[in-house]
Amino acid sequence: MIDRSYKDLLKMRRFPHTWCPGCGIGAVLKNVAMGLREMGWDYRNTVIVSGIGCSGRMGGYMNVDAVHTPHGRPLTAAEAIKTVRPDLNVVVLSGDGDLASIGGNHLLHTARRNPDITVFCNDNEIYGLTGGQAGPTTPKGTKTITSPRGEHYQPLRLNRILTTQAPYFYAKTTVYHLNHFKTCIHEALRYKGFSFVDIISDCIELNGRRLGFKTAHQMFKWFDQRFHIVEGVRDHLKDDELGIAMKEADTLPKVKVEVSEKPEVSLKDLKPFSLEELASFDGQDGKPIYIGYQGKVYDLSTSPLFQGEKRMRCHLGGKDLTQEIGIAPHGEELIFKFPIVGRLKE
Amino acid sequence: MKQLLSGNEAIFKGAIKAGARYFAGYPISPTSEILQQASLYAEENPEFRFLQAEDEIAAAIATISASLAGVKAFTATSGPGITLMQEALGWGHVVEAPCVFVNSMRVGPSTGMPTQPAQSDLLQIKGGSAGDYYPIAFYPNSVEESFRLTVTAFNAGEESLSPVLLLADAFLSHLYELVDLDAIEVTVVPRTQEPLGSGQRLFTGTAHDKLGNVKTNDPVIYREWLAELRERHLRVAEKYPLYEYLPCKKAETLLIAFGITSRIISPLRERFSIFRPIRIYPVLERELKEMTESYRHIIVIEGNDGQYAGWTECAIHRQVLRVPCLGGGFKLQWIQSQIEERLKGR
Repeated sequence: MIDRSYKDLLKMRRFPHTWCPGCGIGAVLKNVAMGLREMGWDYRNTVIVSGIGCSGRMGGYMNVDAVHTPHGRPLTAAEAIKTVRPDLNVVVLSGDGDLASIGGNHLLHTARRNPDITVFCNDNEIYGLTGGQAGPTTPKGTKTITSPRGEHYQPLRLNRILTTQAPYFYAKTTVYHLNHFKTCIHEALRYKGFSFVDIISDCIELNGRRLGFKTAHQMFKWFDQRFHIVEGVRDHLKDDELGIAMKEADTLPKVKVEVSEKPEVSLKDLKPFSLEELASFDGQDGKPIYIGYQGKVYDLSTSPLFQGEKRMRCHLGGKDLTQEIGIAPHGEELIFKFPIVGRLKE
Repeated sequence: MKQLLSGNEAIFKGAIKAGARYFAGYPISPTSEILQQASLYAEENPEFRFLQAEDEIAAAIATISASLAGVKAFTATSGPGITLMQEALGWGHVVEAPCVFVNSMRVGPSTGMPTQPAQSDLLQIKGGSAGDYYPIAFYPNSVEESFRLTVTAFNAGEESLSPVLLLADAFLSHLYELVDLDAIEVTVVPRTQEPLGSGQRLFTGTAHDKLGNVKTNDPVIYREWLAELRERHLRVAEKYPLYEYLPCKKAETLLIAFGITSRIISPLRERFSIFRPIRIYPVLERELKEMTESYRHIIVIEGNDGQYAGWTECAIHRQVLRVPCLGGGFKLQWIQSQIEERLKGR
């Protein structure tokens, strides 16, 4: 017998829903609801967060508290909710345009901070709700209403972006590979940390028909040609692979702080310079540039600011600059980098 | 016990007094100190959570989401940050999330003059987000009042179920004064909203009916919703008709100033009457009408090019004279000479 108890998790009174016939979102909604039921999650311990777009409407059909954020912000909202209420299970249901384009910055940083939330991305490779414009994941060459001769740019590869910094959990699946899809949902919900499921889904009305598909089923067949399932848990997934990429946290080496100190040079051992002698070393006629500072003479010939010119902005070579540097906006540490060649006579 | 506190410190302490349990922010002068204090406070108090977000958009969304999740939350920023937070401010009004946005103003537009004080965000906080909404904003003029009004802002937020703005300026944020916080008596309004995870509600920025069902093509429902929002905000604002009036006998001129400007011109109260609105929004229309009636001249002195003067004219149906203190120039002598010039021959 088929278990239909997942329907408790859906607001059946709000059906029929807003999506077009043949849309992949229905499958995402149903399978996520089944996944939540399997985990035993309900309105007492679960919050759905969604963004803008067709897929953002999913929250409104779930029988739990749902937060429908402005475009691109569901990840931030989900993270904040999880932070202040660790007792809640937070699930994000949104689309590729919302998460990867307008919310791209939040995707990078929320993944970096690794809150314990699960993200289901309905990746239909198009902006559906706004009428079929090219999205961040639209494959190169695809004709859309904003790329009438074919999309110019490479799509954003979420499989690469989300698997650069461990720990990560990234699963890629399609609405067609149903068993694989269910496994991915289940594993992602069980994962402790930021888990992201990239669900390749179809938008028949605003993407498929323009590409020449007559039915949603033809698009599913197309997914089957484009992708294949890889078994087991991988480190990374290739662009045409469906599967789970997961990695525990790397232990990065701690940044070492080393302060190098120059040996103190005794003033007595240095070659003495009088102010007149110093004045001749102003960088002209191929001579080096020396300056005096606090009784010592420094060779500033290698300074890029002095190169080829005898002055840089306000400081002149061949002079005692102790007072000038005292009032200059930069500190004396700039001078200490240069070699000491002598001392100033009293 | 008296202690030396800056405006920023007083605002943070006020928020803690009001029961804030979440802070999200992004570094920006002149409110970075609030962010710094929040990070330290979170290290020492595990019940207080802190997020340094990737941008102000995320900070604002996180603040509102934390509020929906059930804790009192706040964020702090300056003019350029508030520009990015507008989206969240509009969203916060629709999803009814009580929280506080601190905006310490500096010279704009854009990066402007970091960090010279200004009072030039009055228009952007009034209606910078899409659509109609009725923000409540308070503007203190001393460190002690910063503390008190922060608590008031949290209270007004809880009552109006919306983000409330607490204004300050770069001057006030970094102004140090002796204050005795223990001697300040404040009342704290407790949280009334049911937190997330206790129902089957939809918190959406899309127009919706009372049950949370999305209704995107029903003008009647929208009008009812907006009327209720307006009524609620005006009712709450009515509870806080905050202003300060310093009458001067025989004065024919009333000076209107708020925030730091009112402190700077306080020596002029020997010659002029001074009216200081503390609640900036909704505009104190009735009070302005009553106060200005008996004066021949009204002069609005503010750190922008006539933003509050415009609201004053709307409220009292009379022309007012303006002294705009622009580019961070708030010298008393200069203001005095400008007043003389405006009054010449009148």
